[in-house]
Amino acid sequence: MTRVDEVSIPEKVANYVIEGDRVRLRASRCPTCGSVFHPPRTICPTDGAGPLEEILLGNKGTVYTFTVVRQSTPEFKTPYVLVYVDFPEQVRVLMPYDGEEPPSIGSQVDIVMGLGPKQEEGELASVPHARS
Amino acid sequence: MEEVYVIGIGMTPFGKHPDNTAADLGAEAVGLALADAGVGRQDIEAAWVGHVFQGMAMGQRALYAAGLSGIPIDNVENACSSGSTAIWDAAMALRAGAYDLVLALGVEHLTSLFRGAFAPDASDVEAQIGITMPGIYAMRAQRYMLQYGVVPEQIAQITVKNKKNAAMNPLSHFKKAVTLEEVMQGRLIADPLRLHECAPVSDGAAAVVLASKAKRNQLGGSRAVKLAATALMSGRIESGLADMTVEDLTWRTAQAAYKQSGVGPGDIDFAEVHDCFSIAEALRVEGMGLFPHGEYVARVGKGEADIGGSFPVNASGGLLGKGHPLGATGVAQVVELVKQLRGDAGERQIQNAKVGVAHCRGGKAQGVEGTACTVNILVA
Repeated sequence: MTRVDEVSIPEKVANYVIEGDRVRLRASRCPTCGSVFHPPRTICPTDGAGPLEEILLGNKGTVYTFTVVRQSTPEFKTPYVLVYVDFPEQVRVLMPYDGEEPPSIGSQVDIVMGLGPKQEEGELASVPHARS
Repeated sequence: MEEVYVIGIGMTPFGKHPDNTAADLGAEAVGLALADAGVGRQDIEAAWVGHVFQGMAMGQRALYAAGLSGIPIDNVENACSSGSTAIWDAAMALRAGAYDLVLALGVEHLTSLFRGAFAPDASDVEAQIGITMPGIYAMRAQRYMLQYGVVPEQIAQITVKNKKNAAMNPLSHFKKAVTLEEVMQGRLIADPLRLHECAPVSDGAAAVVLASKAKRNQLGGSRAVKLAATALMSGRIESGLADMTVEDLTWRTAQAAYKQSGVGPGDIDFAEVHDCFSIAEALRVEGMGLFPHGEYVARVGKGEADIGGSFPVNASGGLLGKGHPLGATGVAQVVELVKQLRGDAGERQIQNAKVGVAHCRGGKAQGVEGTACTVNILVA
């Protein structure tokens, strides 16, 4: 399977940096209230402050919830597992889970690059995933 | 503030309408609503038309087909709350004293456009990752099960209840009750939600004629029902790690409606809520404070939300049974409240129904739990 180059995902969507075999997500933190947002925002929706501080999230998180998507829109290859990952920075991020069986709620995950579920020109795209 | 009354209702059958356009369906609902109100086309001063995917000037196409033209026509898109937002807009114009007799229509011809699972707008960050609407509610259901100790079979009882009600509604998309076994044998769409636990793709239209108090009095209006509150809110961008079983958007919209009307959760006799998925019904009624958090699913199992129960929910069949033609859904909920409050609901009539609430939510975008929500309270 050919890997689609990462730049084919718009920068504003796949907002991350790769460090070795791990991935860190870009986020922004409000200097006034401390709220953290991913993807990054320019103005804090909580208190209107800006500009916000650019930060990188850590590469570990906790599974808040999950599902197995078995029916989706045509560009996605089903089935696939999705998880909401809670980061210690107090922000929750949706991502695919790298595994056929879903993880349990509350389990620890690493953030890594993985293929799919979105297909671009017939190939699975490389995006940040959660992995147990 | 000017009082607002619903003086006429009209609704097409919901379901698959391959031989009708959206304009045909809209015109049919408008004709029925005008006849029910006992007013003529020429009496309507302005109209708001809710739809999501019907393209440019849907409202004009439907109203022209119904024989109305030349008046202000406002097309309203607010995701699945589009129709109920049209009611909100129309009621605001009456309250402002701008008009005395207006129309709100919701219309959607969805089977000609979509099949299968819905997703947020394709440009949304989470849509690009692979979120679907059933996927969102499935993830909320996983949390609900964990936090409140319920199992998928209990959540599926919501579908059994609503499809049983739909079987008594001649305008429903689904006219057949289902057993719990049939629901649990359905294929998984997003774990734990199965096929029968997802609202169908439907076509249909619903319309209401709204009048000021003066106009209602002038027309006689013995069948008029008071729109005691109409509230619209948008989702707040979230920060931090919110409890996904708790609906802040539903809570804030309901609170606005309660404040407007002076009606509280304890005064309400029955509800029509946005059960786009089985678990959604629990999140709505708990979000509105009609049931304590985490208790609704278990109480459905005891029959409390049945038509003969202590607090009937979705007597019409709800979105799961009656169908979900997006733009029409919020108007159809108000149509059901009016039927119940008039005592015209036939087989599915709720005894002593005096105060009803309709809750309609729409959309999802990254960073918010939902995009739009309306709560309408009607009093006989």
